[in-house]
Amino acid sequence: MPAKIDYRRCIGCKKCYDLCPMDIFTWDEEIDMPKVAYEEECWFCGICWMECPKRAIDITYPASLW
Amino acid sequence: MALERIADRVVETDVLVMGGGVGGCPAAAKAAERGLNVTLIEKAKTDRSGHSGVGMDHVMDFPREGVTVLDYVKYWQGRHHLLCGEGRVVNANIGYRLGASAWWALEEMEKLGLQMKWDDGEYHWVRHGWFGAKIMLGVHWLDVKPTLAAVVRKRGVNVLERTMVVDLLTNKGKVVGATAVNTRTGEFIVIKAKAVIIATGGFARCYEPETPQFYKYKMRYHGAPGAISGDGYAAGYRAGAELVNMDIGTCWNYRMRDDITLDFGVIDHGDGIRGKWLTWKGEEIPFPTVKIYEEVERRGLDPIYCSVEHFPEDYQKRAEITIADERLISLKIGEDRGFDPRTHRYELMINKPINFAAIPGLYADETFKASLKGLYVIGDACSGLGGCGSAIMSGLLTADNMPNFVSEAGEPVVDEAQVESQKQTALAPLSVKDGTEPMELECAIRYICERYVGIFISEGKLREGLRRLGSLRRVFLPKLMAKNPHYLMRCLEVRNIMDLAELHIQACLERKESRGNYIRVDYPERDPSRDSMLTFQRMEDVKAVLEIKEVPDLKPEYAKEGK
Repeated sequence: MPAKIDYRRCIGCKKCYDLCPMDIFTWDEEIDMPKVAYEEECWFCGICWMECPKRAIDITYPASLW
Repeated sequence: MALERIADRVVETDVLVMGGGVGGCPAAAKAAERGLNVTLIEKAKTDRSGHSGVGMDHVMDFPREGVTVLDYVKYWQGRHHLLCGEGRVVNANIGYRLGASAWWALEEMEKLGLQMKWDDGEYHWVRHGWFGAKIMLGVHWLDVKPTLAAVVRKRGVNVLERTMVVDLLTNKGKVVGATAVNTRTGEFIVIKAKAVIIATGGFARCYEPETPQFYKYKMRYHGAPGAISGDGYAAGYRAGAELVNMDIGTCWNYRMRDDITLDFGVIDHGDGIRGKWLTWKGEEIPFPTVKIYEEVERRGLDPIYCSVEHFPEDYQKRAEITIADERLISLKIGEDRGFDPRTHRYELMINKPINFAAIPGLYADETFKASLKGLYVIGDACSGLGGCGSAIMSGLLTADNMPNFVSEAGEPVVDEAQVESQKQTALAPLSVKDGTEPMELECAIRYICERYVGIFISEGKLREGLRRLGSLRRVFLPKLMAKNPHYLMRCLEVRNIMDLAELHIQACLERKESRGNYIRVDYPERDPSRDSMLTFQRMEDVKAVLEIKEVPDLKPEYAKEGK
């Protein structure tokens, strides 16, 4: 799946939520962490992955793109 | 004032820049530097938005090493010949203006804080395949957008992020601003502006992404960011500005099946070494245009591949660096798949007009003035401009000229009824229940373009596509629903995609010939009477107007100076 958050590593810095060009993240106020809310709109640009200071985001391609 | 009652917020500005990408940011920063009050609207976050949000590895358009400005003009036309056949397909004067201003622009880019030099402190000139001369700068621009966004903020530009333009506001044939919505809060905003610069890039969502994907992951595009739904093209068109070349599109020759970015400096513009194009049997073939691909397929020799296996190790390293500069994640994806260009080949597929940019776009003169008063257009949104160098240069040039225009423009007078009607259109999906999701309609539009237009075009299919598109418009557009402001953005995008898909088909119907990669199966020959005769489309009194007109040749004074 696109942008997957590892919540054990995430520190809630909001970078992914702030920067995603497709706006696929929302902010989950309850846990004060980002949530991948619109994963089907990810275009795999890797911005969240490269900007995450804790390497808490992984991106893998869907099967149809292999 | 009544305007405040209609809108949640009213912003007054001298210049509105629509789109905060690699062209919009320098435009906004330069206009602010020239003492103007500037507002920048960006659909995402300026720090990582647009085509260069992921980075950039080259900037071109610098006439040097014996290349004159006139050679440059020829290049702009010539490169388009490669795609579209004989004749001019873009306004030659735009190419002249870029070539003539390149060195000024280079200094300006340095003033913006952009790192133009390589690690050794020297300019890193890269050879260009067409010229055989080193006229491109290799740059480490992974962070070009954060740098530009910081300059924009520092110069006091009013930046409205997560905000999407609904439509332009016009009064007596003049652009006086725009309406917009915030895509996270739903706030409806009116911007009154003396001038509007469209910098929203091209258009890339009326065809399927390059590899088939069902249901999910519909935003995947290779040659264009997923966010590019032609918002500037569509808003300009609906306001009455002329769009051009929506038929010949950008028929790039091939696309990559494997989404592992080949850097610009390697595949066909290598620094002395070119990639090889091969059939599956390893037989070398010429540069794969649509016609060559068709031939290869007929002979059962596809798939075809690009190979860079023969590059020496220092070239492989160089390629890796450019990929890291332009799209870092490609390296990770390659690693995930075990793909190494030293031992693997890139599979190529025949292309369709997946990305409308460079040749199509809003029509402008060499001052980047669109056909509507008060409206300017830069970068990929402008016909004749393509790529990050021309986006930055056109942005800087336009902004530099803005004080002159703004001082003569007069106060913008906004028609409240127009604002009210745009608000209703924009926010309607929020109150629709049990309607159509925007992606459902977008996929339906893409399916029409795939099935009835695409690469091999004929009249019957175009007519059927147009008919079906019309019925989608009637039945589904009013039923679009948005659960929240995020989906409202997608609904507004679909509205733009629908308009542009229709223009694409209508323009194809009128071009009864084949030219370069534009292939009309029912008219296989080039029609010389269409040389330099382009398809212009605009909206007049809610009616679509299509005209075939000659595109200007280089002005005599430029032809004289440019040597």
